[in-house]
Amino acid sequence: MEKPKPDPRTSIGARLKEFEAAEVERILAACTQCGKCYEVCPMARYSSAPTADGKEVVPGVLAVLRGERGSEAALGWIAVCTRSGVCVPACPDAVDPRMMMRLARMTALGGRGLPKQIETHQDADYFDRVRAFAELQLTDEERKEWT
Amino acid sequence: MAKAVTEAVTEAVTFWYGCNVLRHGDIIHACIDLLRALGYDPHPVGGPDYCCGTVKDANQTAAGGMATRTVGRLNERGARVVAWCPSCHSHMHDFMQHTAERRFEMSYLVELLHARRAELAPLLVHPVPMRVFLHRHVGFNDLVPVNRMVPEILHLIPGVEVIDSGYLAPGYMCASFAGLPKALEDIHQSTAHAAKEARADAVVSIFHQCYRELLGLDAAGAIPVYNYMHLIARSMGLAYEDEYKAWKRAGEGAADLIGPERIAKVGVTFYERAILPELKKRPKLV
Repeated sequence: MEKPKPDPRTSIGARLKEFEAAEVERILAACTQCGKCYEVCPMARYSSAPTADGKEVVPGVLAVLRGERGSEAALGWIAVCTRSGVCVPACPDAVDPRMMMRLARMTALGGRGLPKQIETHQDADYFDRVRAFAELQLTDEERKEWT
Repeated sequence: MAKAVTEAVTEAVTFWYGCNVLRHGDIIHACIDLLRALGYDPHPVGGPDYCCGTVKDANQTAAGGMATRTVGRLNERGARVVAWCPSCHSHMHDFMQHTAERRFEMSYLVELLHARRAELAPLLVHPVPMRVFLHRHVGFNDLVPVNRMVPEILHLIPGVEVIDSGYLAPGYMCASFAGLPKALEDIHQSTAHAAKEARADAVVSIFHQCYRELLGLDAAGAIPVYNYMHLIARSMGLAYEDEYKAWKRAGEGAADLIGPERIAKVGVTFYERAILPELKKRPKLV
């Protein structure tokens, strides 16, 4: 019997989604919610709901990873993460909090198929602008060969 | 111009420059010349068709599709990939290589230049008298120690003095602060103040995403700004014009420099809506 062709709508990026799901499970199992990652974060002060105690924030981040509604403090922190990575050596449980926050951000933005919980800066012209600068900066031949 | 240290090509590489560096054709061309001078045969690739997908956090189906396509294309080339963009390099490390089997070696350009310092030094023949304040971020450095490597590379240039500064901006590059204007404003101000306090001649960025943002300081007359590759190119005797800097300094008048023919290629309406505001943007300085 002929093998059915995979539905491209579900197969595109399937391995990436599997990897992300496995990472979420690993993080949920490893994190002890000590809050050290939040406490060393240089971006926490830019959160819309800053707090002094990381133990109050991290459970909300894990909730987002589980597909639940995040706390205001957690969503505020997720929205300002810019991948400083200072959290990585601060974590006593080898969680890789930078990956935790990246996955939480993807999830909270609705990128992993769950309801959107935060808004982000959207640049509708992003790729058209890149193409326009290629027109301005490269020759026709270079654009044909390189882009 | 400095002579190539190696007559024969030693290795074909794919030079994966990324997307947003297309604002800076001079940087792309200088990197290609530099790789050739070091004995590589670089094939440059980049732009939206080689996007890593890191900008698609809000759509992982799209991000996965882009990563699968780009890893596939780089696999087809087979050669070692030398990445310019820190976003592409870290996204490959963290996510992309999980979408498809990666069949190529991967280096970040700074890593490669640092490893080839002995061959790079004789290419840097022209003095660049400049006291440099290096704009560093705290992120990315754990993947590639650029905050140590770039000063060590710049020290090879006659005349360059890199100020020993403990300055570290949050995040991993300035463009990721696009939606956080207060934080970006703080970075601009702290960079300008620290550079002036250190009596620097110029701020030098490691990443093009920072260069683009920091150029507002240059255009506002606060302090000259360069990318580290500009200093290498100048010392090698490469004479590519930094047109983006000229456009940024000109602001509203950039159209005169770009010229009607090139503006027509991208469309007047698009230029005025999507490019001119970026060229006119200046930081708030206290």
